[in-house]
Amino acid sequence: MRILKYLGQLGILWGVYLAGRWLTEALALPVPANVVGVVLLFTLLCLGLVKLASVAETADFLLRHLVFFFIPIAVGLMDWGGVFYQYGLVLLAAVVVSSVLPFFAVGFLTLFLHRRGA
Amino acid sequence: MDNPLLLASFIALTVATYLACRRLYLTVNHPLLNVVALSAGIIIAVLAACDLPYTVYAPARDVMTTLLGPATVGLAVPLYRHRALLRSHGLAILASVGLGAFLAMLSAGLIASLGGLPREVVVSILPKGVSIPFAVEISRIYEGIPALSAAFVVATGTLGSLLGGWLLSRVGIGHPVARGLALGTVSHAQGTATALMEGEQQGAMAGLAMILAGIFTAGFAPLVVRLLGLL
Repeated sequence: MRILKYLGQLGILWGVYLAGRWLTEALALPVPANVVGVVLLFTLLCLGLVKLASVAETADFLLRHLVFFFIPIAVGLMDWGGVFYQYGLVLLAAVVVSSVLPFFAVGFLTLFLHRRGA
Repeated sequence: MDNPLLLASFIALTVATYLACRRLYLTVNHPLLNVVALSAGIIIAVLAACDLPYTVYAPARDVMTTLLGPATVGLAVPLYRHRALLRSHGLAILASVGLGAFLAMLSAGLIASLGGLPREVVVSILPKGVSIPFAVEISRIYEGIPALSAAFVVATGTLGSLLGGWLLSRVGIGHPVARGLALGTVSHAQGTATALMEGEQQGAMAGLAMILAGIFTAGFAPLVVRLLGLL
């Protein structure tokens, strides 16, 4: 009977995702449906309309294996290897700078706000 | 194209590769060993050796990513579990993660477009700091290339988890809340894994930051795309 429970939980997650997709389309929101879905489920949990226990196990399982879903997408890189040959240096600079800069920004802003008691 | 045997073998190949790489990662546990990059590399090598193009593999991808939407929505669960942290450090979390997500996107986009990259590559690099499901969808909205975005995400995550802790220590950021937020905002799940190794509070903060960074990045994307003149 455990499997039925997991499937039921999956049904809820799926339902919220579909609701997020519907909302995104209906309101023509310029954000991804899965982001809307996360916000929606968080709101439902906070309002108590969805209980943590009615999604927790399946959500935890899927999140533990979330990286699995990225693999078939990343395989698509096989068609784009040339981009890295052609623009490697610019890409490297963009990735490094845009990682280091926010590291300091987030770190120092948090420290600053923390000292002021936020 | 619609050969069920081929479809099944691609799925079997992907699942087996994932499980093997995951086991390796769990035993070795090194930030340079990335399950997505290693698995994708192996599968690409197999496809190339068999002379098969990505279009043949694509139907299997569509089957396997069916659950990605509901799985991503599940991120609300850890967010909800840590709602007490959100309440106690609300302003610091929202302001820092928001600023970090915005800076990451803007600086990546600026360098990429000044460096003369084609529009679809510039758009693909914008969401490089967020978890792949968000990055792929944001990239898609602006007609980027999802696979490229996934690659930039993995590159950023690897860089952040390798250098992040050291960088923060170099400039004297030792506070666990600040370290966790920085690691999660910049390098998503990979940074969160590193933060978890530092401590529980760092890990919780990083997990929270990673999800919020995804939401912020999605929200800021229209603005950044307009600022960069990519519309």
